[in-house]
Amino acid sequence: MKTAVLRPLVCSAAIFALAATPALAEIKIGLNVPITGFAAADGKSALEGAKLAVAKANEAGGINGEKLELVIYDDQASPKEAVPVATKLIEKDKVVGAVSGSYSGSTRAAAGIFQQAGVPYVVSYAIHPDITLAGDYMFRVSAMGEVQGRGGAKLVSNLGKKRVVLLTMKNDFGQALAAGFKEAAPKFALDIVAEYEYALQDRQFGPLVAKVKADNPEVIYASGYYFTAGPLVSQLRAAGITAPVIGQEGYDSDKFMEIAGDAAEGTLLTTSLDRDSESPVTQAFIADFKKATGIGTDMVAASTYTAAYVLIDGLKKTGGKGGAALRDAIAAGSYETPIGKLAFNDLHEVSKDIQVQVVKDKAFRRHSVIHDPVLLAPPSKSGK
Amino acid sequence: MLLVELFTQGLVQGSIYALIALGLTLVYGLLRILHVAHAAFFTLGAYVGILVCNASGSLILGFAAAMATAGCAGVITYRLAYEPLLDKPPFVALIASIGLYIASEEAFRVLFGAQGISFVDPPLQQQLLLFGTIRLKMAELLVMIGSLAIIFVLSRLQNGTRLGLACQATVSDPQMAESFGISLRLVRDLNFFVGSALAAFAGVWVALLNNLVEPTMGSVPSYKALAIIVLGGLGSVRGTLAAALVLGVVEAYGTIYLGKLLDRNAIAFAFLILVLMVRPQGLFSRR
Repeated sequence: MKTAVLRPLVCSAAIFALAATPALAEIKIGLNVPITGFAAADGKSALEGAKLAVAKANEAGGINGEKLELVIYDDQASPKEAVPVATKLIEKDKVVGAVSGSYSGSTRAAAGIFQQAGVPYVVSYAIHPDITLAGDYMFRVSAMGEVQGRGGAKLVSNLGKKRVVLLTMKNDFGQALAAGFKEAAPKFALDIVAEYEYALQDRQFGPLVAKVKADNPEVIYASGYYFTAGPLVSQLRAAGITAPVIGQEGYDSDKFMEIAGDAAEGTLLTTSLDRDSESPVTQAFIADFKKATGIGTDMVAASTYTAAYVLIDGLKKTGGKGGAALRDAIAAGSYETPIGKLAFNDLHEVSKDIQVQVVKDKAFRRHSVIHDPVLLAPPSKSGK
Repeated sequence: MLLVELFTQGLVQGSIYALIALGLTLVYGLLRILHVAHAAFFTLGAYVGILVCNASGSLILGFAAAMATAGCAGVITYRLAYEPLLDKPPFVALIASIGLYIASEEAFRVLFGAQGISFVDPPLQQQLLLFGTIRLKMAELLVMIGSLAIIFVLSRLQNGTRLGLACQATVSDPQMAESFGISLRLVRDLNFFVGSALAAFAGVWVALLNNLVEPTMGSVPSYKALAIIVLGGLGSVRGTLAAALVLGVVEAYGTIYLGKLLDRNAIAFAFLILVLMVRPQGLFSRR
């Protein structure tokens, strides 16, 4: 008699306990990332990078034994998608912090919403200056476009070249790079012969290539992503242009070499991931990423991994609490990451060296490192 | 010198536009549908071309497979999407077409991945030196020759065979044509097959020139081809060819000399507006 009454009670209690445990013991962090749309390829790298950081943290015991859960939404790299995504992450999922694995357009739109809600937002590779200006809950782990552009000008000078043609991609990334390059060019007495712009959708550069050939520059500074840069570099080489091509982190993908083939050899890029780094953290990341995904890593994956890592590190310090405590913990930290040693300034930007990689035998190898804290200083509250 | 090279590059681009726009103009002439989803067959062709060429090592097989696949897909699209809408106002079919195109981009992404695919060992990349001055890739030369040849053959077929005459009869008066024993369905299927196969042909060439095929590669051609068929005087094969070549050349010069003011992809539309202001019937329409 007794057992017959008790059994359903015990059962329901057990079910209740089972259902309740995981809900209690999970700390949610958000990720907005372009899973569909034109930026989906970068989105995939970003997603894998963030997932790896969370998996690593959970393997190591999570936050005081509580597991981390990554809540993922597709923002299509579009500002109008990013707003509902940010709102959902805050209101519905109640994330304690979030990571942007997306482009500047959507990240800028989301930044204000996270700032208003007091949810720390760590940005991986979106380079628009407005993002950290949204407020003190914003953090960025990558160098801004202008800074990379200044580094590009220094690289031209380091190569001993003067006459440059700029091929600029018509979006905020390309234009920020060009602005930085042009700002620094007089310092190195560079002669900018001409600047041409192209659209993100362009894959055929026949007329531009013909003109660059006529301009006969010593070096070509071309902004782009692997999907524009691959065809561009191959078409430049096909036309018999031998001047070195300097790209940036947008080139930083194995796909670039796959598309451009032999023409990719010798291409230089200013980026944040040094595949030949002696840092054990970088080498461990490269190996872990390969093991987890079966593909080679790239700048986007490394940056998004770093952004998630920084957020998780902050959570470890606050014991899983978000808000102002998390913001302060992140701001105060210094980090050993796959993209170098990072610490945030008063605007929550990082200052770091620029890694110059060169394509050699179908792989990115170290070319040089640009170390110039003055030239490469990120904007700060006091500075700008 | 530079002007000649720009002109040549314009012709290369124009030839590709012509191949894409031709299918669109065939469909418009026949059914008065603005077939935006046409660009999906361009992308489909490019994917099939690369996949088959990579697997078999034969580019010719790649071309054949691309054209056959896209041709069949075109007929299926007509039967499933457009035929049921023929008695509705034309904008219904246009909306269906836009929807189809968007769905196709995502389908390509799901099937083949977002990063795009490339030839393992891209063929026809040899450098040529024409007339001692113009440097061209073999693929660039062949796309010009190929598209002109195919358009020539097509216009001969249209005027010199019973089937071609049946197509023309269907365009000018479908009911009358049907009462003379012409199968409307056969003619329409055929047009979709040929038009889609041509788009696939163009797709494989673009894959060869860029060595990159992505889910979104059709998005610019989808609307630019519309501009071209309007310029060419809607439904005219020769007009479309001429408009495509002219636009290619205008773009080539525009990219260099107007690039600061106008996006390359905006040039087509600026040119379109200009032409329509002067010749509302299109550049080459005799009507």
